[in-house]
Amino acid sequence: MSSKATINRLATGVPGLDEVLGGGLPEFSFNLIAGPPGCGKTTLAHQMMFSLATPERPALFFTVLGEPPLKMLRYQQQFDFFDSEAINQSIRYINLADDTLAGDLDEVLRRIVSEVEMHSPALVFVDSFRSVVLASQTRSNPNNNLPQFIQQLGMLMTTWQATTFLIGEYFTETDTNPIFTVADGLIWLRQSVQRNSMVRKMEIMKMRGQPTLPGLHTFRIATSGIKVFAPAPIARVAAPREFPSKRLKMGVPRLDEMLGGGLPMGYSLLVAGPSGSGKSILAASFLAEGARNGETGVIAVFEQRPNHFQSAVLTDLIRSGQVGLVDSRAPDLSIDEIVQLLLGEIGRLKATRVVIDSLSGFELALAPTFRDDFRESLARMVTALTSLGVSVLMTSELEDRYTDLRFSPYGTAFLTDAIIVQRYIEVESRLLRIMAVVKVRASSHSDELRQYLIDDEGLQIGERLPDQEGLLGGRPTRHRRGDSNG
Amino acid sequence: MSTPSEESCQLAASLMRRIGPDAEIAKVAEATVATLQDMHVALTPVIGQQGVAALYRRSLHLCATQHPHLASICGSAQAAKGLSSLNAVLAEQSQADGLLFGEVLLTTFYTLLTTLIGPSLTARLLRDVWEPSLSDAPSQDISP
Repeated sequence: MSSKATINRLATGVPGLDEVLGGGLPEFSFNLIAGPPGCGKTTLAHQMMFSLATPERPALFFTVLGEPPLKMLRYQQQFDFFDSEAINQSIRYINLADDTLAGDLDEVLRRIVSEVEMHSPALVFVDSFRSVVLASQTRSNPNNNLPQFIQQLGMLMTTWQATTFLIGEYFTETDTNPIFTVADGLIWLRQSVQRNSMVRKMEIMKMRGQPTLPGLHTFRIATSGIKVFAPAPIARVAAPREFPSKRLKMGVPRLDEMLGGGLPMGYSLLVAGPSGSGKSILAASFLAEGARNGETGVIAVFEQRPNHFQSAVLTDLIRSGQVGLVDSRAPDLSIDEIVQLLLGEIGRLKATRVVIDSLSGFELALAPTFRDDFRESLARMVTALTSLGVSVLMTSELEDRYTDLRFSPYGTAFLTDAIIVQRYIEVESRLLRIMAVVKVRASSHSDELRQYLIDDEGLQIGERLPDQEGLLGGRPTRHRRGDSNG
Repeated sequence: MSTPSEESCQLAASLMRRIGPDAEIAKVAEATVATLQDMHVALTPVIGQQGVAALYRRSLHLCATQHPHLASICGSAQAAKGLSSLNAVLAEQSQADGLLFGEVLLTTFYTLLTTLIGPSLTARLLRDVWEPSLSDAPSQDISP
């Protein structure tokens, strides 16, 4: 038997938070939930409280100065987690406004201790702790005995085996505040405003003894409460990929042959082309082919209007449940949120084929604050999806440029295992479409530029245009055989 | 204000039970003050003394505007310092006015709180005010 103290981890009941905390909340920890007004501190505290409190492990919620308790109760009960029946059973509110107004921290501490002794809570919340501090500073002694107060409070709560949360409005984490030193955990909530979008972010700045996930994690507040979008875990690859890989049929005649026998399973494929070149049709065929073979798929749509798919086949597949639809119209999306939605659908349908249509629309759907990191975030998303073993097809709008040869507008071509590029060319006063397989990692593939048509059946790949040259320049010229002969 | 809920009617009913069959004004005053005190006790830990005091003052104001003939009692009650003084104010009223005032004030207070924190939480917080008096009923029934 181990002689070391066992630290139990409490499940917070906030989706995604336990992952970010590194496995839940350490029992008996003394924590600070900090951030500017309106960032969700009180909501986070309530959500955890309603999830964790039981009649055997009750919670005390001390309200101090600040938001009037009536208002707090009025607004908090709008959330699904709020259960009126728990009040005065497993959850007890205690108002300390009168004690705090006097500005005597010893008296505040005495009240807290007497209530804690009376109710033996497993969870204690003080909202807002900042107002306790400010009230104490209005007296002649500006520092009062704040460090001692915090130290004593921390010590008392731990010895009473209470997991404690102080909630406070703090704006800068660089303050030399005694609370930051004493606290075992520092959960910092932020709101990032850029242009007219606002994104909520959470950072676990400190959590003693826990391998927390570093960095800023986005979260959303809905009627169900707070949902944190923890980065998707990257599944470890148990064994190197086996060759030859099983190949997936694309559902477009002759394309499999161009890919060297189909798309290797678990690969990511980028289909890049200008507007109207048939990328979405190719994506729909990919999903339809999967459905024909008994596979399920997921499509994340960012461009087309909901329920206005050009492909009737795709609409049917979605209706029949063979393809799951991720169609978040929420503003201020983060990559992690999209990945969570995708993983949820993939898990629900046990999907093997995933389509993201398109990266260009996806970039626009993201909150501006994430656009700078788009490439990096995209890499994370592709890795998270392919590590599950699913095959991913992403479409990307490619501006027709005939002066340079590029395959994606983001420099993301290296991220994907395979690339198909589509282009328009002008031949004899007609706009023709050509397609080529540019890359299939670790596989031979066609190097031909093939003409293709779009008809009611989808893409129809034709032959090369052997008598034309300079196709990638957009204005090919007829290859003059005579020239090569001298 | 919305119409009184079933719970606020129960609160008024519990007032009647506290008063008992012999509704002389002294008993009416005593029972009204006792019920209000129980409400204060139930709510003060949650919303603070000042919060409860503010609700009480607002309830008196609403009573006066909705029942003009109670305006003078409400005015005297507003002027009285605390609930103990309310007892003296009520003792000077007629039995009918005192009874109506007590009933209307409790119902108004309850309904006011309902508009702020919803019926479910209001009932949860104040249930104990009327429920113990249910168990008192039999003893009153057997009294002469």
